[in-house]
Amino acid sequence: MFRNTSSLIQPLVFFIIIALLFPFSLPAEGELLQRIGGGVIWVSAVLATMLSLESMFHSDYQDGTLEQMLIHPRSLPLAMLGKALAHWTATGLLLTLFSPLLCVTFNIPSEQIWVLFAGPLLGTPSLSLIGATGAALTVTLRRGGVLIAIVILPLYIPILIFGAGMLTQTAQGLEVASQLYALAAILALSITLAPFAIAGALRVTIN
Amino acid sequence: MQESLERDLIDTVNPITASWNFLSDTYHRLGSPREFYTISRYTTPIFGILFLTLSLIGTYFGLFVAPADYQQGDSFRILFVHVPVAWMSMFIYIVMATAGAIGLIWRIKMAFVVTICSAPIGAAFTALALLTGSIWGKPIWGTYWVWDARLTSELILLFLYFGIMAVYYAFEERKVAEKATALLSVVGVVIIPIIHYSVEWWSSLHQGATVFAEGGPKMPAEMLLPLAFMAVGFMFFYGYALFLSMQNRVLENEHKSRWVREMVIRQGKNNELVRFFLHGRLRLRGLDLLGFNIIGASRICDFS
Repeated sequence: MFRNTSSLIQPLVFFIIIALLFPFSLPAEGELLQRIGGGVIWVSAVLATMLSLESMFHSDYQDGTLEQMLIHPRSLPLAMLGKALAHWTATGLLLTLFSPLLCVTFNIPSEQIWVLFAGPLLGTPSLSLIGATGAALTVTLRRGGVLIAIVILPLYIPILIFGAGMLTQTAQGLEVASQLYALAAILALSITLAPFAIAGALRVTIN
Repeated sequence: MQESLERDLIDTVNPITASWNFLSDTYHRLGSPREFYTISRYTTPIFGILFLTLSLIGTYFGLFVAPADYQQGDSFRILFVHVPVAWMSMFIYIVMATAGAIGLIWRIKMAFVVTICSAPIGAAFTALALLTGSIWGKPIWGTYWVWDARLTSELILLFLYFGIMAVYYAFEERKVAEKATALLSVVGVVIIPIIHYSVEWWSSLHQGATVFAEGGPKMPAEMLLPLAFMAVGFMFFYGYALFLSMQNRVLENEHKSRWVREMVIRQGKNNELVRFFLHGRLRLRGLDLLGFNIIGASRICDFS
């Protein structure tokens, strides 16, 4: 993934463009943008992650690396954990680093910007891990992209609710600790369980 | 003395062993498509009759005997449909995921059939729960829909059912499709506790647990009784719909096997073949509309 810089840049550019489409399509009122900004950034991050999922196992499947991993005596779930975390550093981490920058374009007050940094930092690894399960299920299909969306988006909704909920909480001057705890709990669950689901999905779909 | 003691022991153990043997025998027989087909041909009508009886009794008591609510008046009576249907939407998911796990772990063919046939029934119950809920919400909350924890998570459940159905149809090879569907249904099971506890975790417009609340149900018996009748009745409806759908799928999956061919030929001799197909089609049309059921009978036509 790091060898090919275009796969590194594409999700990031997609993320920024999607987020910037909203100011263009909505009345340019500072107050409105400020209110919806957090949600828009979260939705864009989810879409950008999803877009990059299709290529996650694709080249490995094409050149037979994946089959080698399957028959290798080394633990497959552990390898998949590494794979998902590598995917996160190339997408989720980058998106997290750029989301404070997008906050500026949405007029989000500077004291709230850390919320849009901490939230994605805890939330995007879960997106990669859960998404990898969908990618593994659909890796053998020729047109898996739409199917990934149908399968994975319902599972993303809880993360989205907690992540975007943080911003409305801070806007009202309330504590966000509970949302952060929830995101952390989802992350803990997906780090421990998702690798097994990914490995299982690969064993099912690849004969 | 010794003999009588042994006889006593046998006498006390026997009914338990016998019933255990019977259960385990039935369970193993259900694992075979052919045996399932034979058994379910007898049990399915029983389920249907039980569903009709129980739900008719529940409807009568719910509409005419149960008193009106002191706050909500008569509009609360939709509860007798809404609550059992919402329970079923989650119950079916749990059955589906459990069957999926059983299929993946012990490689039982019929478990996958349970998973795949449960998905459209569960989706229908979920859609019905959302529909009846919004009809109830209009007079009581003043709105058909709110973006509230319970409603949103139920909607996620509906989309999850759709995703599971979509995965099954995406794969060309049936065995891979079955396993992939089972795996996704097991992964999605995390959503069930979120739905169940959403009313307690978040402050919600939806009322909290009333029937399975701490310290017993907060509901008079005249309301609880019809609710119980409806809940058990819907459970039998699930059994009825599931078995019909499973029979259909078994015929489709096994249409090349000998017992299906022999059965069709036998029924053709008795001039019942046409009746069988007509009857089968008629019975299955309701489920067919859900888009998941392919008429196995039409495949059988090809070779007979």
